[in-house]
Amino acid sequence: MADLNIKKGHNIRISGVPSDELQKGLKPKTVAIQPTDFRTLRPKILVKEGDTVKIGSPLFHCKTHFNVFWPSPGAGTVSSIQFGPRRVVEKIIIELAETEESECHDSFRAAEIPTLGKEQILSALLKGNLIPFIRQRPFNKVVNPMDTPRDIFISGWNTAPLSVNLDVILRRRLPQFQAGINILKKLTTGSVHLSINENTVSDTLLEVKGADVHTLNGPHPVGNVGIQIHHIAPLKLNDLIWTVNAQDVVRIGTFFLTGKYDPTIFVTAGGPGVKTPTHIKTRMGVRLDALLSEKLNEGKQRIISGDVLTGKTATKNGYLGFYDSTISVIPEGGEREFMGMIKPGSSLTRYSLTNAFIGFGKKFFSFNTLQNGSERYMVPINAWEDALPMDILPNALYRAIHVEDIEEMEQLGIIECDEEDFALCSFACPSKIDVGGMIRQGLNLMEKEV
Amino acid sequence: MIKFLQKFLDDNRFRFEKDGSLEKFAIMFEAADTILFSTDEVTESGPHIRDSIDTKRVMILVVAALIPLYIFGAMNVGVQNGIAMGVERSNWGQFWFGLNKILPIILVAFITGAFWEVLFAMVRKHPISEGFLVTCALIPLVMPASIPLWQVSMATTFGIVIGKEIFGGVGMNIFNPALVARAFLFFTYPGRISGDKVWVLGPDGYSGATALAVPAAEVNQHAVSLLDGVTQFDFSWWNMFIGWVPGSIGETSKLLIIFGAIFLVITKIANWRIMAGSLIGLAATAYLTNLMAPFSSNTMLSMPAHYHLVMGGFLFGMAFMATEPVTGCHTNQGRWVYGILFGMLTVIVRSINPAYPEGTMLAILLLNAFAPLIDWFVIQSNIKHRMARYAQ
Repeated sequence: MADLNIKKGHNIRISGVPSDELQKGLKPKTVAIQPTDFRTLRPKILVKEGDTVKIGSPLFHCKTHFNVFWPSPGAGTVSSIQFGPRRVVEKIIIELAETEESECHDSFRAAEIPTLGKEQILSALLKGNLIPFIRQRPFNKVVNPMDTPRDIFISGWNTAPLSVNLDVILRRRLPQFQAGINILKKLTTGSVHLSINENTVSDTLLEVKGADVHTLNGPHPVGNVGIQIHHIAPLKLNDLIWTVNAQDVVRIGTFFLTGKYDPTIFVTAGGPGVKTPTHIKTRMGVRLDALLSEKLNEGKQRIISGDVLTGKTATKNGYLGFYDSTISVIPEGGEREFMGMIKPGSSLTRYSLTNAFIGFGKKFFSFNTLQNGSERYMVPINAWEDALPMDILPNALYRAIHVEDIEEMEQLGIIECDEEDFALCSFACPSKIDVGGMIRQGLNLMEKEV
Repeated sequence: MIKFLQKFLDDNRFRFEKDGSLEKFAIMFEAADTILFSTDEVTESGPHIRDSIDTKRVMILVVAALIPLYIFGAMNVGVQNGIAMGVERSNWGQFWFGLNKILPIILVAFITGAFWEVLFAMVRKHPISEGFLVTCALIPLVMPASIPLWQVSMATTFGIVIGKEIFGGVGMNIFNPALVARAFLFFTYPGRISGDKVWVLGPDGYSGATALAVPAAEVNQHAVSLLDGVTQFDFSWWNMFIGWVPGSIGETSKLLIIFGAIFLVITKIANWRIMAGSLIGLAATAYLTNLMAPFSSNTMLSMPAHYHLVMGGFLFGMAFMATEPVTGCHTNQGRWVYGILFGMLTVIVRSINPAYPEGTMLAILLLNAFAPLIDWFVIQSNIKHRMARYAQ
């Protein structure tokens, strides 16, 4: 039961913070699942255009682990399968039917779950197509169900900008969450670690039993599960840790209690481009422009599936990413400032982790997509180190990846790293280097090697 | 006016794009364009929003911290000249005299520096790096006001080309380019940058030694009483702190240097660990040499730490050169070691080596060479300590 206060990092004060109000989104016309959301996945598509599917029906499976299937987020007809460059399957789009049916599986009583064996649980998860909700570290990809992880980590609070407030969306979800924890506990030989914050008020998170609850405090990225693993029980080479999003723990619990796959998801729609930022109850893989149609501000906006640091730009008809529960909208581009280089500049128009501009208090800031500078060679003014709450030397690691020195990368702890944990370094970098992208490259290299 | 300028730039952009008539000068256009107007590049992926800091801003803040030193430097050149020539001038008169002397040096340094930077950027096809602004701003400050302009030009050339560009530009260099420039002059034309004839613009043959040269020239005396005995200049601690003494253009006013250092630390451009480390290193080593002083005829050994601090270029080097992020250590622990060693080496070169009364430049250059080694040890210790954690 660790109780940690972490100082490094930064909570970006971006405007458009979603209120705790929970709106119910309209029923979407189409939903989609995007195989590109899953790292290193080679999908084998099981449906054709025109097929009818139910909620939870398998849409494709993994070519390397034949028993892992991906569930359909809706019931209706497969309206199109879109391919990208080199015939990569980008989207499977489903047009929803008026009345939707779900695939039905065995259900269990809450009291029954702790008595189930690991085999029973695994086979239920596999049948219900729920394995994709569990990801592994290192490499942050979908797990191989045959593995046994050392521990399972769940982050019970988000620190990423504009992310969902788990206190709000886990309200009155204790039975399902408890069931989810009981199920996950059976899958590991170690323990299920749940991290909360000192301000956590949700009864679900505070009253759940069977998990090792850790209290962590500090700015972003401490809410990221990678940072939590690093501080609570670090990942070693040949170790395996599984992680599940808190919402998906509820989903797994619900599946066992009802026998049905529940594609409901709570998301936030926030950022300077949104009129009334709130939480929205909607569907996995929802089409974003339809969901946001009446909420956007005037002007050209960039809709991002995911948070502003790690999300993906949703193209014109983009859909919500599989693991994303944040939708961020920021204005595209901005004014070019005359003599911006020399002007004293103030915190009213500039936002910086350094004090290079005159500060006027800590107000929320309307970010846009300007890069605020051009890419340059590395000028190490400690921006990365101050943004990374890990015992890892980002600068040295970056260099090791740059020269593709696998041995040194490993020694410097790349196994413990993930792209998302370094996103704040990229944000803060004065040379505009994409540190997270470099970490991803390094992980890809490592993965090939291992 | 501003709109007109922006329109003019946008209208002419096509000429510099690929297959345009002025394609070769695209880099110059890009530089002019982004200096006048902040860049309109948008993020592609990854973090969709970015911090407002960029390297342009980093460099310009360092230059901003140097501006008070230029003003004081101009003033001091006038004051020292007034003392040497025995003329009375108003404050404006002093400043005007000094400005006339140092402005050509500044111009020559910037023009030479910009020439090489642009040439290399065009040939090597890398963007014009803002780093040359800092290099060119530092070079005049570490020269005596009597330096011939052709030497400034040569030194700048050497500093930018050999100190930086042959390694690939800013971010790739091993040695601080401004110090490389000074070292070049120091070893090729020592007569114009060391000794006691160059620091004051006086009548021909006028001799005005810097404070450091005074104890270095004598044996078996106490440094402080020796300095107090100098009548030509006021070498009291307080006056040396304020800076009305002979020396290089920008290094005499310790007060303004300290303001500059605090400014850079607060803005988080310079790393406080290097500064703190060097102060500790300097004080500790000076204390040790003081203990040795009774057993030696070397007067420099008896110099107390607070005198070391206000004499010569130590503070200037500490604030603006040792903290240079690229050539210093890149790890926080390394920065402590680097700073402490810098303070120690400065005192050692000053005290033990009779040929060089000033040790700052050599100490920093030597440590630039050793910075990667220091970092290597820090990295190894990080690896070891991670292995130990894994073994638990």
